[in-house]
Formats: sequence, structure tokens, C-alpha cells
Amino acid sequence: MKTTKLKQLIIAAAVGTQVALPVFAADSAVTGTNGTAPAEIAAAPAANDNSAQQAEITALKQQVEALVQKVNALEQKPASADQTATISDLDQKVRILQRQREIDQDAAVAKSATAPKLSLGQNGFSFSSADTNFVLQLHAVLQLDSRTFFHDDNAKGVDGFLLRRARPIISGTVARNFEYNLTPDFGGSQVQIFDAYTIYHGAPEFQVEAGKFKPPVGLEALQADVNTSFNERSLATDLVPNRDLGLALKGELFNGAASYTVGIFNGASDYNSTVTNTFSQNSKAVDARLFFQPWKNSDLNALRGLGFGVGGSYENDQPATNATTGLTPGYTTDGQQRFYTYNKNVDASGVHWRLSPQAYYYYGPFGLLGEYVISDQHVSNYLPSGSKNVDVHNTAWEISGSWLLTGEDASYSGITPRKNFDPRLNQWGAWQLVARYANLNVDDDVFKGSNVNTSLANPTTSADGAQAFAFGLNWYLNKNIRANVSFSHTTFSSYGGSSFTSSSVPAQAENTLFTRIQLAF
Amino acid sequence: MKTFFNLGLLAAFAVSASAAEVKLLNVSYDPTRELYTEYNAAFAKYWQAKTGDSVNVSQSHGGSGKQAQSVIQGLDADVVTLALAYDIDAIASQSHLLPANWQTRLPNNSTPYTSTIVFLVRKGNPKGIKDWNDVVKKGVSVVVPNPKTSGGARWAYLAAYAYALEKNNHDDAAARSFITKLYKNVPVLDSGARGATVTFAKNGIGDVLLAWENEAHLALKEFGADKFEIVTPSLSILAEPPVAVVDKNAKRHGTLAVSQAYLKYLYSDEGQEIAAKNFYRPRNEAVAAKYAGNFTQLKLVTLDSEFGSWANAQKTHFADQGVFDQIYQSQ
Repeated sequence: MKTTKLKQLIIAAAVGTQVALPVFAADSAVTGTNGTAPAEIAAAPAANDNSAQQAEITALKQQVEALVQKVNALEQKPASADQTATISDLDQKVRILQRQREIDQDAAVAKSATAPKLSLGQNGFSFSSADTNFVLQLHAVLQLDSRTFFHDDNAKGVDGFLLRRARPIISGTVARNFEYNLTPDFGGSQVQIFDAYTIYHGAPEFQVEAGKFKPPVGLEALQADVNTSFNERSLATDLVPNRDLGLALKGELFNGAASYTVGIFNGASDYNSTVTNTFSQNSKAVDARLFFQPWKNSDLNALRGLGFGVGGSYENDQPATNATTGLTPGYTTDGQQRFYTYNKNVDASGVHWRLSPQAYYYYGPFGLLGEYVISDQHVSNYLPSGSKNVDVHNTAWEISGSWLLTGEDASYSGITPRKNFDPRLNQWGAWQLVARYANLNVDDDVFKGSNVNTSLANPTTSADGAQAFAFGLNWYLNKNIRANVSFSHTTFSSYGGSSFTSSSVPAQAENTLFTRIQLAF
Repeated sequence: MKTFFNLGLLAAFAVSASAAEVKLLNVSYDPTRELYTEYNAAFAKYWQAKTGDSVNVSQSHGGSGKQAQSVIQGLDADVVTLALAYDIDAIASQSHLLPANWQTRLPNNSTPYTSTIVFLVRKGNPKGIKDWNDVVKKGVSVVVPNPKTSGGARWAYLAAYAYALEKNNHDDAAARSFITKLYKNVPVLDSGARGATVTFAKNGIGDVLLAWENEAHLALKEFGADKFEIVTPSLSILAEPPVAVVDKNAKRHGTLAVSQAYLKYLYSDEGQEIAAKNFYRPRNEAVAAKYAGNFTQLKLVTLDSEFGSWANAQKTHFADQGVFDQIYQSQ
């Protein structure tokens, strides 16, 4: 290309020279009149002018032809061929590099499609196969609490810090449809497995859960530990089972507008877990729950957060060993002090049923949760003089309300702050006011007897009832960190005008200040 | 009234039965897209005429080795139509989705058509490539896919190796030296045959493409006979792409019978004609004679005669740390 242009340039220059020649000659003539060689031109005869010009043109033509030949020769020189080859080679190299890049990109895409995925964020650590059929998730719950008891004469409630929950949670799925969860707890005074279950997700309407998990009875008990309004659950939860071993069928119907769970379990006593992961009686419990959220998927914002239902259980308690009574170890206050226990030698001896109508309502920052629980249990005191059998009918209820001062949406399943805590940005997380009232009433029949030894419970150390009022402030720094402070006031009633012994828990009202720092991811 | 009701039910059942639609997935290798697009339509017509059922065959294409791995890892193929028997053997041995003797279930070792490896060069054959020994010359840029992932590439590798063995009195060292030179001339390795065709024909890379015979003809058709020409070497290999029903998948889908019929129909006159029209060498002699003009005669060696078996060839040449790894990684 360059040589062609060069050739054109030379030819144009040569032609230009020819055209310009007469002009240059005239100039010369003019110049000659005043210049150095006027005599030669001036002296030339007029007849020879044309022939001289002709000769000059011929000479110039020859020069042009010579130049053209030289250019042609240059075009055909091996150096130009080399240049062409070099350009061609470079072109191939560029194309190869481009193609290799495409292939590498394709390979990278193909590899990423089959490579395991790793993620870490506010929802914990997750490691999954490329097709997400196999997932391993690591979560943790850490709760550092403090309890300070007021006006307790330093005799009953112990002030101090405690590691309420310290749970590494291993969960995930295998073979796409099988969920698993393994949750040990290192908090408190003993290490135990709290949850260990697998769920087969056949369809939203049909799931099978097996292992150790929360039985489907109490509304507050079923709420995740990290989402409850207060450090401790209410008196109403004292009457429902905590964890149990069994098998349940459950599902969601009508896009979650209704849900059901029904299962068979070993049978746990009131708010007690199966610590040993085995069983202690031949009989089994049937637990079930129906819950409705009719407007969950509707446009009626004011009703979308309304849920109501009923949970219950039925079993025929017959403890198989002398080491177990089949009864609750006791009902506890908000401060986790036992204000009611059965006497020694009292066993569960027949039907135990519970019924718990329950509801919650969440609308914007406002939340309300309430439930009523009946725990009806046949209990016997085996005395030398003959057994005493009582159908103990205990009841409890609670109602709790919450209000998010910072405007976030309240929810049964947790709060997500609009703005995470960051003082540099003048962001302070979410703040929530909470209040609760709860009441537990023990059946008077347990206290009846000729004396404290013949009754099923001691009216001088166990309360006939408890009423607790609590309020608090929850601070959600972000989705993972939460700080609570709350105060609880619990009063007790005694049976038939009995007086509590001064060292007993219900001898005086319980006033407790709670704090908590919670990490959950 | 009851009889009328029953008749209604029967009619409804009959209508639903006649409206049955069967879905099949054919997992195939790279260059068979056009063949099976045409064949699927023909088979659907045949099957509907025979049974009244409509068949919708989906196709999946890629490097033969990669496709086999996909099936092993769960790609739900009813049938596989791959480039070489070793890949279907891998499915049988690793996933047990079909029996080990799958190749005995259809005629001609379950290979209804054959092919071979030829050269596609640029118009005018500027590098003067006529046979395998031209391909290994210094300065000749060769395009061929990766034999670790592509069935066609394995056939090409073995064709070149077989040529070198024949030219060197079956001296394996000489053949290895020959194949080393060949892959020194390969600037880029695509994962499949179609990718290599794109590299050569569309991206303008290389002087010669070692291609399936049908793929070379397709390139002429797609990109223009004024741009490329086919060179048939003096010797090549008889490539036998096999087909098989993936029994467990087909049984699970309830498509076993139609899957078997789908492959069996490849041996029919119509199936063979479609193969020949798409430049696959038909097994049927009459059809082969009819389309003889499509195929240049050349000496074709077989895999068994030169390399014993696919298992041997795989172990020696294409397995990890095999000959190919040694010669290509050392570049």
C-alpha cells in the first residue's frame, strides 16, 4: 500500500514538473535578463527553442520511467514480502490470542457452573455444591445475659452473668430435598443436643420431620430463641413441651395461608426437654397444631400479619422407671427460679393433654402475641396408706406487645433494622419497646391433703399461682447483634391462705433486671 | 344413563390416550446438530403414524467426553449418540444407567453410521496440504479440538498416529515423534468439534482443520465453497459413533420403548438416507451406493486393528499422564 502511494507520488511529481517547466523557463528567461546566464538563452536562436524543449521533455520522461522502474523494483523486493508475512503472522497471533481468551472464558464459565459455592454473610457461612443439592451451613447463637434480683435479701435469686445459650448450628441439605440441623448447646451448666433432625421436603404441603425438635404446641415456645421479645419466655410456656424426640408430618397449604403439623413423640413434660436423647416410658404423645394466616398473601395490609391457631398434645403418661416421674421438674419465673414443684413420690399416672389457642398480630412496627394454655395431667402420690390420684388442671396465659420506635416492621420471625448501627453515619439501628403480662394458675387440688406430706405439692414452698409483668427495650444494632434490657416483676399467690416459708422462692415478689448481648448469624 | 356415562369416560380416555406426547432427550456430540434436527422430525412423523403418539426430541450437544460426564452426573438422557464407544462405556461403568453389553443390542456394534477424519483447508490450499506429513511441517498451523474432551479430536489424533505407524513400519517412537510435531503446530485447543470449526472458519485461525468428514462438508455449506476446500488424506480412521438407550433414565421416564424405536429407526432406509445426506457414511449398502458421490474413497484403518480397543487407546493416549498429556504439556 505504501509503495503504491509512493509510486503515485513520483508520477504526480514528474507530471507536475513537465507542466511547470514552461513556467520555470519563463522565469528563467526573466531571471536571465538580470541573472547570471542570460546570454545563453538570449543567444539561442528562436528556431532551436522547440527542439531543445522536446529534448528536455524526452529526458524527463526517461527519468520518470526510470523512477517507475525503481518503484516497481522496490515493490518486488523480498523485504516487502517479509513485511507482509510479518503482518500476517501478527494477525494470526492476535486471532489465536482472542480465540484462546474466548475458550478460556467458556472454560471458566463451565468450571464455575460445576464448582462448589462458598458464601459468608449475615445469614452465616454456607458451602454448597454447584447444583445446590448439597448445602452445609454454619450458624451460631451466643447469648450473654445478666440477672440482677432486687429485694431478695440475697437469699434466692443469684445476681451475675451467665452464658444463656452458646450454640454452634450445623444445618443444610443433602440430596436436594433433605434438610438437616444439628444444634448442641454449650450454654448453661451442661452440654446437650437441643436440635437434631432431618426434614424431607417432598412438597410445601408435605414434609416429614424426624429427630429431636420443638413439638408443635406453644406459640411462644415455637418462636426462635433469638427472636423472642424478652430474655426468657413467659409463664404460659411453662405448660408446653420444649423439645422432644419423634416423627412429624407437616406442611403449608394455600401458599402458607394455613399450616399443619402432627406428630408422634416420646412425650415431654411441661417445658422440659428430653435431655438424655432416649425415652423413659412406653406410652407416646401425639402433638398437633393448626395455624392460619388467611390474609398472608392478600393486599389487606392491616390483616396480612394476623395469624391464629391451636396447638395441643395428648399422651398417657406411664413412667417406666422409678428414676423418672413423667412430671415437670417445676414451673419457673422469668428469673428462672422454681416457684412450683411436685412433692417427691408423685408421678404422672395417666392422661396428659394440653390445649393452646394462640394468635399473633403484626402490623407495621406494632406486634402482639398471645396464647392460652391448659395442661391437664393425671397425677398420683403413692402413699403407704393408699394412693392419691388427682387430675391436675393447670392453666396459663400471656399477652405481649411490642413497638419498634424506629419504624421497622415487627415480625414473629425477627427484626431487620432499616439502618445498621454506625455512629459515624449517625445510624443507630432499630429500637423496640416490649411489654408482657403473664399468669399461671396451679390446680388447687394438688395442695389438698391432710398435711404437706399427703398433698401433691407443698403449699408452703410452691405457689398456687404467679403473675408476671415485664417491660423492656431491645436494641437491634444489625441483623446479627442485639442488646436487651428488661425488668420483670412477678408476684405469687398461695393456696388457701397458706404462708410460704421465708426461704422459698414465692415468699416474696421477684424483681429482676435482665440484660443480654446476643450474637446470631 | 350409567352406560352413557361410561361411554363418555371411555371416549375421554381414548382422546387423552391419542393425545399422548412423549418427550425424549438425545445427548449427542458436537457436530450432529443438523443430522438429528432432520432425523428427529422424520422419526416423529414415523412414530405418530405408527402409534398415534407425538414425540418431541430435545437435543444436547457438546464434546463427546464432556457429554458423557454430564450424563454420569445426572443429565437425564433417554438416549446417547456419542462420538465413540469409550464414552458410553464410561456411562455404563460409572453410573450403571445401562448394561455393559450395550453395544451388542443394535447392529454394527450399535453404530448406525460411520465417518472419518479429513482436512479442511483454505481455498487454493495455500500451504499445499495433501496428506498427514504436510500437516506436521513447520509453519503449518493446525486447528483441532482437545482430545481430552472431544471425541472427534480423539479420532483425529488416532488417525494421525495410525498414519505415522504405517509410514514408519509401526515404529511407536516414530509415531510419537510425528504426533508431537503435529500438536506443536496446534495453536489453540477447543473443547469440541464445532468450536474448532468456528476457530478455523469464522475466526480465520490456522491453515488446516482436522475435521469430521460431515463437519468439513457442513463448513463448506455454511461458510461457502469459495472459501474452503476438503482434502482427503491417503489414510484415515474409520470412526464409528455409537448410539445407546440409557435404560434406567428411559424406564424412569416411561420412554423405554420409544427410545429403543428411536435408535432402531436410524437403521431404516429413511434414517440411513438422512445420515448420508448429512455426510455420515451409511451402513446400508444400497444407500451408501446411492450417495457414493458424497464420500471420497480412502484407506480407512480401524481402531481395533491399530490400537486394540478403546480401553487401550484411552489408557495409552488420553488418560491423565498418557501420551497426549506428555507431548502437549511439554510444549
